[in-house]
Amino acid sequence: MDRLTCAEVFERLNDYLDRELSAEEMERVREHLDTCVVCASEYAFEARVLEHVKDKLRRIDLPPALIERIRATLSDPRSRRSD
Amino acid sequence: VTTPTAAQPQTLDELLVPELERSFGLALHLTGERAEAEDLVQDAALAACRGFGTFKQGTRFRPWFLTILTNCFYARYRRARREGTRVDVDDAMDLYLYERTAELGWHDGSADPAERLLGRLESHHVQAAVRDLPEEFRVVAVLGLIEDLSYAEIADVVGVPIGTVRSRLHRGRKLIQRRLWQTAVDAGLVPGTRREEG
Repeated sequence: MDRLTCAEVFERLNDYLDRELSAEEMERVREHLDTCVVCASEYAFEARVLEHVKDKLRRIDLPPALIERIRATLSDPRSRRSD
Repeated sequence: VTTPTAAQPQTLDELLVPELERSFGLALHLTGERAEAEDLVQDAALAACRGFGTFKQGTRFRPWFLTILTNCFYARYRRARREGTRVDVDDAMDLYLYERTAELGWHDGSADPAERLLGRLESHHVQAAVRDLPEEFRVVAVLGLIEDLSYAEIADVVGVPIGTVRSRLHRGRKLIQRRLWQTAVDAGLVPGTRREEG
């Protein structure tokens, strides 16, 4: 199997970040990143940005009153009617 | 002592309550308003209650509920879709933040240039960047970023082809990067801007 070029890795970078490539393709990208400083730097940066974005988006507290509203909905027999 | 087994059906309460915190976060990023998000989760819980008979015990509850929540979101906002928030999607470059931080020389010596930039931004900055995405990008981005769903799972939840999910997710992330950079510039968080701190 031919080694991937930088351009080919660039095309696959988002799918690699999302773990959406086949096992074989994942391995080919990984092999390239192990030997290419520039692509490895781009990948590491994108991965860290994604990590930060996910972390900051997940910092949301559930309003306590909402839990009570939902519990009331679930325990109300009228909630099971489809009309 | 009764040991729970996979064969024992779980109640909606058992399945839904542990999912509420993440569901509220998702709803908040979709709607952009806490009160709207609470109402959306409430709508979804009610719809789940009415449709619980269609849930197949033993399958994953989370995607089933996310489909309901997403449909409730579309139903609530079908008439209120904001057309004024469109942005030029093609204008967002690949590796947007990488290129901008490279221009500052942050990749020459900084051990973690992403941390150097993103560490200066608050959660509300990132949440605003997602909130301002066009709806079709926002829904897919939120499902990918909050839920870590695969492309196929997002496609099932939203009801669009996998290729569309992939495209919207990647383009949405580019738009988020561009918006975050603008936020950093406007706030003077990067060198060469109003309140230089670099």
